[in-house]
Amino acid sequence: MFNFKEELRRYDYSFFGICTAIFVIGILNLYSATHSQGVGHEEGLYKTQIIWFFLSWLIGAVVSFIQPKNYFRLAYPSYLLSVILLIVVLVVGHSALGGQRWIGFGPFKFQPSEITKIAMVLVLARWYSKASPDQEIGLKELIIPFLISLIPALMIIIQPDLGTGMLVLIIFFIITFYRKLKWKTIVILAAVAMVGATVIYNFGLREYQKKRITTFIDPEYDAKGSGYNAIQSKIAIGSGQFFGKGFRRSSQGALNYLPENHTDFIFAIFNEEHGFVGAVFLVALYIALFYRLLWLASNVNKIFDSVVVVGVLAIFFAHTIINMSMVSGLMPIVGVPLPLMSYGGSNLLTFGICCGVVTSISNARSLF
Amino acid sequence: MFGEDDLVKSHQERADIILNIIVCCFAVLLARLWFLQIYHGKMFFNYSLENRLRKDAVRAPRGMIFSRNNILLTHNVPRFDAIITPQYLEGDEETIAYLAKVLDLPPDSIVKTLKKYQAQAKYIPIVVKKNISRREVAIIETESSKLPGVSVETFISREYTDKDTGAHLLGYISEISQEKIPRLRDRDKYDYKQGDFIGQAGIEQQYDLEIRGEDGFQFMEVDARGRARRHVTSDDLYSGVDNKSARPGKNVRLTIDRDVQLAAYHALDGRDGAAVALDVDSGEIIAMVSRPAYDPANFSTGLSSNYWNQLVMDDKRPLRDRTIQEHYSPGSTFKTLTHIAALEEGIINEDTKIVCNGGYRMGGRVFHCWKKEGHGLVDVVKALRESCDVFYYSIGNKIDIDVIYKYATLFGMGQRSGIILPRETSGLIPNKDWKKKRTGVEWQKGETLSCVIGQSFINVTPLQLAMFYGTLANEGKLWRPHVVKEVFSNSGQILKRIEPEMIHQFKISRKTLDLVKQSLFEVVNQPGGTATSQKGVGIQMAGKTGTAQVISFSADKIFNKCENQEYKYRHHGLFAAYAPAGNPKIAVAVVVEHGCHGGSAAGPVAKAMISAYMNKYYPSYQKKIIIQEQAKMNYAQLMEDNRVNPVPMVPETNVKDYYDELGKQVRSFSLEKSSQAQLGPVE
Repeated sequence: MFNFKEELRRYDYSFFGICTAIFVIGILNLYSATHSQGVGHEEGLYKTQIIWFFLSWLIGAVVSFIQPKNYFRLAYPSYLLSVILLIVVLVVGHSALGGQRWIGFGPFKFQPSEITKIAMVLVLARWYSKASPDQEIGLKELIIPFLISLIPALMIIIQPDLGTGMLVLIIFFIITFYRKLKWKTIVILAAVAMVGATVIYNFGLREYQKKRITTFIDPEYDAKGSGYNAIQSKIAIGSGQFFGKGFRRSSQGALNYLPENHTDFIFAIFNEEHGFVGAVFLVALYIALFYRLLWLASNVNKIFDSVVVVGVLAIFFAHTIINMSMVSGLMPIVGVPLPLMSYGGSNLLTFGICCGVVTSISNARSLF
Repeated sequence: MFGEDDLVKSHQERADIILNIIVCCFAVLLARLWFLQIYHGKMFFNYSLENRLRKDAVRAPRGMIFSRNNILLTHNVPRFDAIITPQYLEGDEETIAYLAKVLDLPPDSIVKTLKKYQAQAKYIPIVVKKNISRREVAIIETESSKLPGVSVETFISREYTDKDTGAHLLGYISEISQEKIPRLRDRDKYDYKQGDFIGQAGIEQQYDLEIRGEDGFQFMEVDARGRARRHVTSDDLYSGVDNKSARPGKNVRLTIDRDVQLAAYHALDGRDGAAVALDVDSGEIIAMVSRPAYDPANFSTGLSSNYWNQLVMDDKRPLRDRTIQEHYSPGSTFKTLTHIAALEEGIINEDTKIVCNGGYRMGGRVFHCWKKEGHGLVDVVKALRESCDVFYYSIGNKIDIDVIYKYATLFGMGQRSGIILPRETSGLIPNKDWKKKRTGVEWQKGETLSCVIGQSFINVTPLQLAMFYGTLANEGKLWRPHVVKEVFSNSGQILKRIEPEMIHQFKISRKTLDLVKQSLFEVVNQPGGTATSQKGVGIQMAGKTGTAQVISFSADKIFNKCENQEYKYRHHGLFAAYAPAGNPKIAVAVVVEHGCHGGSAAGPVAKAMISAYMNKYYPSYQKKIIIQEQAKMNYAQLMEDNRVNPVPMVPETNVKDYYDELGKQVRSFSLEKSSQAQLGPVE
């Protein structure tokens, strides 16, 4: 029944294709950013990243052969699993950069919050596909999906990983918006969010998190302290000018002025080396991916599939825009990686699986 | 599996909105990138250059100072300091603990040092330990990974060949103090930085701007921890980056002769005082010594506050240059001036004679002669030779203080000589106006009597005293004293030459000159003179002793032996001289504080300096004098033996004629005999 040849014939290579293109740029950039560290563990990171890439793409490919109806079945179990993992990480997690985010599996370190994103998308898609077809979503309909999202989001925030926690809520919002969230409700939510944000800022945030926000507003206030990254990042980007300094010519990263230059700030190094021209090219690739996803979301025949694709779009887009904004000083510094560019195995795996999921949905679309 | 198509289609509107939002977001992002990379691109590019490039100062080697014979008097030696740049300091406690171990300092002291400079910008390096050893330098350089933010800075410190011999003249350099930077920047129009050294006294201060050279800079590529990666030269990656090499300072050649300087210094061993020697025909200073002194090298290696306090608190004020920054009563050395003034003004003449019985009465007061029993019959030559006070009191009774002022000023006293050295004092020669202005009281006749013997208001610096005797020796030419001969570059090119400058020339009658010069010659060379003990072989010194009272004693104590007084009340001993008497080359003034007697305390110093000078520069002339002196003795012996009519031994007219006469006679003797005689005992 499973005709592999037939499967490959109608296989949608576009997602893996665009993502591989971005990854190739990413890996060259990662090599450039870390090549002249000279000391420490950063040299040779690109090799690890390549291994992660093959592993992720392999898993992604496997996932792409799973029928979409199985995602429907997997929605609740994967959600439960992700919540359990989040509890585990809070109890026994490894700490890095002041937060408990990782669980170790032998030599591998894994961030459960990555699974949460996908599980969330599935569970929300399932929930929203269950509701009556013409139903628009008002406050009442919002309660359960909101709780579904809020539980893992809060658990991530107390790790503490404010960035990913917010990310989960943004994904929730984009999906809900796509599933016809009422405009009136959006206005109410915006008002509540503003009041809530004020309260949280004053009572809920840790000192370093507050500092990130104040330094965002005035980075020069503490140029050597918490504003350091923001300023150095802006210097890196700005100094790239129109054509950039050239491959392997980054001084900000190579000389370590910009810390974390291989993870969260990789976009700054890219801009420094390839300038505005490079940035436009890279952004175009991302937009192509997003456009392709949106097109797919509008051209599937099941509401579950459509919402899942929009969910994947939300994951990609939220990561991309938040990372690029914070690196270029439009947003406070929060630890959000740039999809396919930043070093990191867990998130690469996430994006691989996402690609697999949407490819599977795309492939299933032509199955009539 | 079917029938949801419509539902999906009904979401098209939302999909379009999402697409629009995405496009808008990226439009904002690209606008932001445009703003950073193109609108402000140049600025951020410069920031990134500044980030990675550190501008290290390359210190210019300071110019060297040479003696008139090109002997190096001061030069540079490197010195290493351990510094911390707080900006790059990481893992504070561990780093400091390790650094403390390396430098053998208590960690607390490092923390304290850092705290002290907390307020300043974090990129300014802080010196943790000065003068670290080569071993410590090596450890810091090799263990740099364990010591982020710690580095070694090289400084140039000064070494002085003869240690404190030239302390006051050469001066010293020391680190500029933070508070003074703005003021000095204003004064010198020079961008001083913390850690710069400037000359603080003597030549080092006066010629600082020339000796200093010009610091350069060198760009280093550094990482975020401040570790230097490599030197940067201008290549296309760093367009606009130019290193600047340091320009070495100019060198200075002094008029000082090291041997005379050393002779003066050692002759003053164990004494406090000053000695100055001048070339009478140019005003060049041949030696200039002040004691007590200090070792100037200590200042440039980071003076310990102990040593500094010791210098400042010392009652003897070792930091003061006694040759120009201190003035003394000239005592009897001033009688020469009174003598000249009186002769020139016709108050006395060659026939003037008085009787000294040990005192001079004026009004209700008795002015004592230093010789209690009196000098008996005193003529104009004996008066100066034996320094008879009463003779000068009698002049003082007739002479106006303004006349004294006029002559003293002509000889350069009571005013700054204009020597190019810092903080010269003017000394003081009083006149009636000055007294009136200063005290509101008219000049008193009795005061003139004190002034004519160089006491009371009269104060001169040792340099002025030397200038006075130099001007007498060259018969009326007052030269501006100077200590620097040339300023020259490292390649030996002369950049500046200081030519002798005559301040003025004035006429003194021949008769006066002959009388005074003869008297001064006799002071040293004629029995009864006050400095006969200083008669040296072949130096033909003419001079005048002086003692200056530090406090005035009551009448009954005047004749107490000076050596029995408490040290600080003892008289200063002075001696001013020139030599050789027949053809003066060098003028010398010496002050020995609390030395009691001019002749025995200050005389030997002058003699040592003149001997050293004559030996070195006029050996043939000196030989000739020795021959002449020997011949004179042989001639006298011959007269004795052959009972020939003696040629008068005491010159009747003046020294020059005497020698002309003597020369004629000497020539008539066989030269062999003379040169043989030269080897015999001389005194």
